[in-house]
Amino acid sequence: MSALDQPPGAFRARARDALAAERMQAALDSSTLRLYDHRVAAWDGLGDVEALRETARRIREGTLARLDDHLEAFADAVEARGGTVFFARTAEEARAYVVDVCTRAGARLAVKSKSMLSEEIGLNAALEAAGVHAVETDLGEYLLQLAGKHPAHIVAPAIELTKEDCAELLSRAGGVSVEPELEALTAAARAQLREAFKTADVGITGANFAVAETGSICLVTNEGNGRLVSSLPRVCISLLGMERVVPTTAELAILLRLLARSGTGQPLTVYTTLLTGPRREGEEDGPEESHVVIIDNGRTNLLRGRYRTMLSCIRCGACLNTCPIYRRAGGNAYSDVYSGPMGAVLLPLLVGLRQAPALPHASSLCGACTAACPVKIPLHELLLDLRRDLVAEGVASRRERLAFALWSLAWSRPWGYRLATSAARLGQRFGALAGPGRVWASAGRALPRLARRRYRDVRR
Amino acid sequence: MRVQLFATCLGDLVLPEAVADAEALLRGAGHEVVFPAGQVCCGQPAFNAGHRRAAARVARTFVRAFSRELPVVVPSGSCATMLSHCLPELLGVEPYEVYELSAFLAGTALPRLNDGRTIAYHDSCHMLRELGISDQPRALLEASGATLVALRRPDLCCGFGGTFSVRQPEISVAMADDKLGDAAAVAAEVLVTADPGCLVHLRARAEQAGGPRVVHLATALARGIDA
Repeated sequence: MSALDQPPGAFRARARDALAAERMQAALDSSTLRLYDHRVAAWDGLGDVEALRETARRIREGTLARLDDHLEAFADAVEARGGTVFFARTAEEARAYVVDVCTRAGARLAVKSKSMLSEEIGLNAALEAAGVHAVETDLGEYLLQLAGKHPAHIVAPAIELTKEDCAELLSRAGGVSVEPELEALTAAARAQLREAFKTADVGITGANFAVAETGSICLVTNEGNGRLVSSLPRVCISLLGMERVVPTTAELAILLRLLARSGTGQPLTVYTTLLTGPRREGEEDGPEESHVVIIDNGRTNLLRGRYRTMLSCIRCGACLNTCPIYRRAGGNAYSDVYSGPMGAVLLPLLVGLRQAPALPHASSLCGACTAACPVKIPLHELLLDLRRDLVAEGVASRRERLAFALWSLAWSRPWGYRLATSAARLGQRFGALAGPGRVWASAGRALPRLARRRYRDVRR
Repeated sequence: MRVQLFATCLGDLVLPEAVADAEALLRGAGHEVVFPAGQVCCGQPAFNAGHRRAAARVARTFVRAFSRELPVVVPSGSCATMLSHCLPELLGVEPYEVYELSAFLAGTALPRLNDGRTIAYHDSCHMLRELGISDQPRALLEASGATLVALRRPDLCCGFGGTFSVRQPEISVAMADDKLGDAAAVAAEVLVTADPGCLVHLRARAEQAGGPRVVHLATALARGIDA
């Protein structure tokens, strides 16, 4: 079982835990609302945001339609600038390659900037097993590493931690008491991470985008850790999801206008870094070796067919921040990696519906995600399509299929409807004893009462 | 104008008085209302759960009962969405002329039954995002004399979501609490919605946990929020 697999009852059980965790609920509530407000304000500031979204959608869809060509151009450009490219079909191949590069470099310590793909492929455990200690340097990821937890948000991984939680973790790690104030927290984390930056043999980054034309990896960060990770250690490895390529820097610029605005509401993140191959002659810093691992891990499954549009995702997190379910269930209810609407769509597509059958239903189909998506992925429609697939492929339970079949047979004729609903009215006082009625009532809701007379009967 | 009224299953079974109010509003605006006897349900519960065959079986009752000659008016945003956006593709039939009630009544003169009253309006998701109807119900409520107070996030789903309400009952109820809490926070006397699904869910929660009364738009307009 991979970290992406989600057994049927997992979402509900973890969501229930999340609802019971008061501090976490408060953190989620304030952070998602703040990020939502910031996105709305930033979009308003764009002028014609709809035109920009449409342009961005076209760029992404156009690139995906010719992904092979763009990836090939990107790989050629990287190699022309002295970098090494490896195509990993699976998570296992990707892990093995990274471990191999680290081993050949004689590395004992690797520093990492934020990469959800690294979480997706379970890289840290593989590195530790090979004797390479990996230190997360994104503040949120570092805190989660100290806590032994997994990201609950693709952009703000530690969104569920309060500043008191953070102070506790940093105090324990540093052996000195840290005040739960932003500056003190940042200073403590900086002091703790600085030594790792200086002594690491390998730096590992993710990739927000890859530019085919130049062979560049684009990183956006707010802490500058991406720069240190990619320039101080002797070896730099970037993990790239195969769908994240853009043809030229012109398209990159358009997508960057939307990425941070949609995620955090910033016009741009504090740092936008373009990594283009290893250090060249005469340059003062940069790695001696530069590797890009292009990772498939199930993405090819989406390339042909109606779910390809999901590969347009630029991982901004807007759909999480706007989602009324995410803000209560929390990120880890979905998985330890991806969450919110984008996670609910992507995970079943990557691992197969049988491995994540509850996720297409972890949504009220309200469509807030679709309205918030900067590249116009119809997320709630994809969830509906996945639900259809659950039934068509026989993943939905037999009980559920039988219930809908019987209901539809009864309600396929007006007389059947009248008969069935009259019977239901007679039995309604027992409605809370079994089936959906029991579940409905169990969460603290009165059972709706069927009226004494239907409207059709009143009207006659 | 002659119109066909679609009660919807929840309207017919649980909220017949709201359907009666919808019909009264239509008649009050000078329309002749036809109530096709063979109507049942639009099939949405099954459709949104992924059971397309079951949905099609039930949705065909609509095709058999309703005519394409006259507009169809529905006192439910989500059923109106099902009929206008999903049914033609599901059954491979020509679209019907379908109106959500408030969109159909937009601009109608109304008695000022809610003078001086404070109302919060909850946008139901499909009505807001698929049909793009958000101003019309508000304008009608204001025409009835009410003062509207804005919810912190009026577009936030109430947590009903059809089968979602029983697949994820805890989250569903937490979302209802968010909505009811928002309405209480702006001191609304009642929370008005144009969707029977949202209404049944929110009312069921408010009944057990407290919170403002939840009233169907048709009732608020036809008989006032105290009805």
